[in-house]
Amino acid sequence: MAGATQDFSQFDISKEEIDKLVAEVVRYVLFKTHQNSGCPIKREELVQLVTKNYSQRALPAHVINAAKEKLSNAFGYELRELLRCRPSSATQGRSTQQTGVAEAKSYVLISQLPAEVYKKYVEDENSAHLSGFTFVVISIVHLAGGKIPEDILWRHLKRMGLCETDASHPVFGNAKQALETLVQQRYLQKDKVNGPEGNTLFYELAERALDGPVSEKMKEYISEIVSKDVVPVDVDEAE
Amino acid sequence: MPSLNWKHHALVQALMTRGPLKEKDFHAIFSGLTGKSPGAHQGLFNEYLLNINKELSSCQFELRACRDQYVGQVCYGVVNNVADEQSKLGTKYTVQQIAFFKGILEAIAQDVIAQGSISNIEALNIRLENQVLSTQGSQLLNGPLPAAFRNFTMSQKEKTLDEFVQDQWLCCTPDGKIGLGVRSCLDLRGWFRNLDVPFCEVCNEAVVKGELCQNEGCAVRIHHYCLKNKFSRRSGEILCPRCGLKWQNQLPKAEILDEEEEANDAIQSQPAQRPKRKRTKTNETHEKDAVGCGSSQSSVPNSDFRRITRSSSRPASQR
Repeated sequence: MAGATQDFSQFDISKEEIDKLVAEVVRYVLFKTHQNSGCPIKREELVQLVTKNYSQRALPAHVINAAKEKLSNAFGYELRELLRCRPSSATQGRSTQQTGVAEAKSYVLISQLPAEVYKKYVEDENSAHLSGFTFVVISIVHLAGGKIPEDILWRHLKRMGLCETDASHPVFGNAKQALETLVQQRYLQKDKVNGPEGNTLFYELAERALDGPVSEKMKEYISEIVSKDVVPVDVDEAE
Repeated sequence: MPSLNWKHHALVQALMTRGPLKEKDFHAIFSGLTGKSPGAHQGLFNEYLLNINKELSSCQFELRACRDQYVGQVCYGVVNNVADEQSKLGTKYTVQQIAFFKGILEAIAQDVIAQGSISNIEALNIRLENQVLSTQGSQLLNGPLPAAFRNFTMSQKEKTLDEFVQDQWLCCTPDGKIGLGVRSCLDLRGWFRNLDVPFCEVCNEAVVKGELCQNEGCAVRIHHYCLKNKFSRRSGEILCPRCGLKWQNQLPKAEILDEEEEANDAIQSQPAQRPKRKRTKTNETHEKDAVGCGSSQSSVPNSDFRRITRSSSRPASQR
């Protein structure tokens, strides 16, 4: 069961033990993803599963790779690696590395099924509203250039019927909490910027929304929507 | 080990994301994916499930079916088979909620006449403190009980009951009581064994709702639907498989048929709602954990349930 492409012979550990470790990592990822509603899992947590009992240095990386294979072969999930990005005001350019600071890698599970198959058989209708909300918010931030002040974002959402102060919206419950969940799931990140009038809170696209495939699809869908909508709309809010 | 293709994956992910599915829905997915109906192509269907389980078993998961004890309908789910550290993560329920759930399960499972359900009021009166003592052993016998367990209010219990029903750990029976949900039937076999719940002589699943042997000293239980199968096939009398006493069916045959028809009607019409509760959608995306996983999640608790994978996990989001 240990991945065919992973060579474990360099470690002095029995096959059964390796299999057990891989199963543990797979199970951890599955259960944790459920528990935290799809928020990314830190690589450090997976590494710990291995290092708590075994001290070989390269072992965690091998086990995680084998778990990746397992998740793909048995379940059809991709264990996608994301690099945690920092708010743009904190770094120059897109570099996320500073001397002495390790890259913070995290993982999310993504279904590898073709989109039509997923939509037809797998998608849970009860959570469709959340996907819709995620899409709308990311689109707004994307169209604003990847970064948007908090009050402008809420202004746009209000035009679509969701107010910041809604604590018991019939679909989304607490509106603020719904937005906060997107931050926890790393679609967005918050950034406080010092301005002439004091601190402003900005929402920026974070690693999950910037991830290659996601970003590409977003651009496609947005351009589909925008090209259909030929009626000019009030743009006095757009800053 | 044969490798699985996207069709197998779709079946597994469907169960993990959406939770346990009724047989006809699951069969519909299979037909949609392969173009063949499970009824006509039993061998192919079984092969699919077998191959899936070969892969899942290395991770202690299993795709299995069970019969919902209240309507006799078959359901499929992905369940978690081992309660380890990882599966304990697979639930969104708090410790108090889980203690509450255990209390309800025990009350239902230990019903001597195997009605398989308890009333709303009974459920709300379950005391969490009893659960705490049993899980934590002697440590708490002398110390004070955690305040959180004592302060689990009625309204919290009501809300929690709603969630359990929504997540299919519990169900609302047609007569308005609380019974075990599909996830519990799929996932908590081991737990029923621990509680010494008798298993059905016919199908070897725990009998939470069923009929008892008339002989007082005999602990045999059989599900209603298993009995029906037995009665309809034989023309003579049924004898209890263990003590040999003539088995009186507790409901006259005509009534058994009526009951089934009623149950069918109940399914086709609006599913029984808990009275007067408006449920706002909370921000949950769930996985079955076990996907329908297992005992946690979960899914559920999972696994399949949650805990079950309820757990069954619902881990994936589409790109």
